[in-house]
Amino acid sequence: MTTETAGGAARKTGRGPRRRTALGAVLLLAVAACGGQSRGQEPARSLTLYTCLSDESIQPIITAFQGRDDGGHVDLFRAPTGELNARVAADARSGGLKADVIWGCDPLTVQAFVDQHLVGGWTPSDADAIPAQFRTEDYVGAHILYMVAVYRTDVPAPTSWADLAGGDYQALAVPDPSVAASALGALGWFAAEPRYGVGFYADLERAGAVQVKTPDDVTTGVAQGLYDAGITTATSAYAAKDDGSPVDVVWPEPGAVAIYGPVALATHSARSDVAKSFISFVVGADGQKVLAESGSYPTLPGVGGPPVPDGAPIVSPDWAAVGADKDAILAEYRRIFGG
Amino acid sequence: MARRSGTVAVAALVAVLVLLPLLRLGQVLWQESDGAPLRALGSAGLGTAGRHTLVLAVAVTLASVPVGVSLALVLRRADLPGRAFWRAAVLLPIVVPDFVLGYSWTQAYARAGFTDTLLGVSWPGLLGPVGVWLVLVVNAAPLVYLVVAVGLAARAEPDGERAARISGAGSRTALVTITLRLLLPAVAASSVLVFVLTLATFAVPQVLGAPAGFETVTTRIYADLSIGGNPASFREALTLALLLVLVTAACVAPADALLAPRLRTVRPADPQAARSVPGRPGALRAQAAVLGSYLFLTTALPLAALVLSSVTRALGVPPTPANWSLDHYRQVLTPRTLEAFGRSLGLAVVAASLLVLLGGLVAVGERSRSGRATATLVTLTLVLPGSTLAVALLLAYGRWLSGTLALILLAYLAKLWAFAHRPIAGALDRLPADELRAARVSGAGPLTAVRTVALRPLAPALLGAWLICCLTALHEVTMSSLLYGPGSETLAVVVLNSQELGRIGPTAALSVLLSLVVAVPALLLWAGAARLRTRDAVPAPEPARVG
Repeated sequence: MTTETAGGAARKTGRGPRRRTALGAVLLLAVAACGGQSRGQEPARSLTLYTCLSDESIQPIITAFQGRDDGGHVDLFRAPTGELNARVAADARSGGLKADVIWGCDPLTVQAFVDQHLVGGWTPSDADAIPAQFRTEDYVGAHILYMVAVYRTDVPAPTSWADLAGGDYQALAVPDPSVAASALGALGWFAAEPRYGVGFYADLERAGAVQVKTPDDVTTGVAQGLYDAGITTATSAYAAKDDGSPVDVVWPEPGAVAIYGPVALATHSARSDVAKSFISFVVGADGQKVLAESGSYPTLPGVGGPPVPDGAPIVSPDWAAVGADKDAILAEYRRIFGG
Repeated sequence: MARRSGTVAVAALVAVLVLLPLLRLGQVLWQESDGAPLRALGSAGLGTAGRHTLVLAVAVTLASVPVGVSLALVLRRADLPGRAFWRAAVLLPIVVPDFVLGYSWTQAYARAGFTDTLLGVSWPGLLGPVGVWLVLVVNAAPLVYLVVAVGLAARAEPDGERAARISGAGSRTALVTITLRLLLPAVAASSVLVFVLTLATFAVPQVLGAPAGFETVTTRIYADLSIGGNPASFREALTLALLLVLVTAACVAPADALLAPRLRTVRPADPQAARSVPGRPGALRAQAAVLGSYLFLTTALPLAALVLSSVTRALGVPPTPANWSLDHYRQVLTPRTLEAFGRSLGLAVVAASLLVLLGGLVAVGERSRSGRATATLVTLTLVLPGSTLAVALLLAYGRWLSGTLALILLAYLAKLWAFAHRPIAGALDRLPADELRAARVSGAGPLTAVRTVALRPLAPALLGAWLICCLTALHEVTMSSLLYGPGSETLAVVVLNSQELGRIGPTAALSVLLSLVVAVPALLLWAGAARLRTRDAVPAPEPARVG
């Protein structure tokens, strides 16, 4: 039990009318007794942020923003992409999106929100400092996930993506592109790359690759010893390595695939100064530094961040093409990995 | 009068918790697919996923029910060596959250797992349909055991068994004609639960099925919600979820309507001594040996893998003392998680207590045809995957309750109502009205009469239902991670949000802590239930052994 029980019934007022069904009120009272959080006056400047970033990354940003002169209070909803999508979809159909800012983990998801007129239409004036491949007119990339190769230290290190299919590995794991957008981004890049194509996945499959659900599942499986190597995100692979798991990370030729996480303003918050300040802060030098220190890869060049090996090659998918060809690429991919 | 208000309350709650959310799902789907919801099912492989789900649900039910019933029958014997220990051990899988089950099995039996490291033996089939099936069976069996054991506690007729044996029936005949016959309501209740839970199961197919390309409807729903965030895949997710509801309705409604009333018998409320006919020592030892091996392979090894992961500093290093550290526990035990734990515990206790009341009301109402329809209705929200049930509740009440603990509580009540109802229904009999009347005539007030006559034999079932609801609510993650808001983060949300779900160490530590938090009071409750059962037991005379 928490200590904050008395007076715990005061809670988020939300945007809708403060109407409660009789049942809701009864249940509220019942639950208030088991520990709610007393939230006093809503601060004058506050915003609601929906994101898929982990707490480790997002909490330092929120703390830094709340301490700024142009800052404000941030109400956070953080969830993996699947739950985040479901919440946004449910919001949109029950009184409107409750977020002022959405910070997603891949451009496809955020573009879909733009297409539904939920977010977009504004980016900060100084967003030009972010490389052009990481922004559109509706959103700006704030962090990057790199798709890299993770391998066990008792097998040879791959140097190129093609090496994974070269026969050095008995068991390989790839993340499912119909579940993880980062995996779909990588698939889209391989599909468009003449030397690889979707056929690369057929080579991997012949070399003993299986499909697991998410990049984190790949890292777990390789660290555990279920697989010798796999395709995953740099963040999760380095985390496993830092923990002491017997794995290492390679940024293979022709390049680690960059998946950027865009931040976008909700269309109904177009006049919210504090929401705009938040976005400006996040993609500006100050916010990018905080992000880099908390272990995410920033999009702004020259800010630093977690390790990128010297001269590590990096490539970017053509997100518009990936979005347009998604169904065709996935259909071709499914012929290889079934499901 | 009391019955009338009970009926009204149940009807209102069915409307709030089940009908309105389902109708909102259907309405959104209808509007957005221009009146042709099935058109939302365009993409490839759906038929296969549907077939997998159905075959899996049937296969898991067919296997886990006999296992669970056998466990209950073996553990019922007071003369079984080490019985108290076995009874606690059997229930352990229930305290392990679904999302680490798959991992613990791979760590025990797959490549580079325990058996591979120690004996050079690994089981590649674990990562595939057979592995999914086996893990689900092993984890459904304790649930069946619980439902059947509380059914046995309330319904067993040792006198009947003795009479059969004395009249010359062999032990098998006595088992089939007396014991199992009396257990049918509990068996039916647990079969329905396991069938529906398997239809809705997600985490185990997700982890163990994916490497073999084994898709189910629920993994498909998750993929639909995960990728792209576009309306078409959202529609497909809703359609699939509603199809699961229809399949459940089609399978469970006839069973509830036709079967349930035929399984019940009118019996005196007085619970008899649960002491059964003693067995031969050799047979008992053999039973204990089989039970021990089963539990070692299905529970001890995977759980040991989990516990070791929680204290080993990294995945993939040998779990030897040199590599032990409490870092994962330190990550899990922060002021924020403790605050969230208080909240989760409160929610779980409130939810479980309300659920036992709601479950009991539905079980009592099953005497009438409309009551049996209610039993089916409350099962429909159990089959909805957490993500879609949460969406349904947001669609219905999000306007007013979004981000509040009240909405999370509603979600728990909706999801677990059948969980509370079925074990109670499995133990309930039609009490002869005479007994209640006799109590009233002898001067007992209506409440006292119900408490002393009707509730007494049901106590183990009520406790069992409470326990299982409380446990499930305590480590529930999908719905709360979708419904929470500022100040209503539950424990699992805080722990899993701090890092991605893929980080096994902290998640394992969380499971171990939850197991401890739960196991201690659970054991106390279980012991309490056992005492309640036997307090009035008259020592039975040693029966003559026949045949």
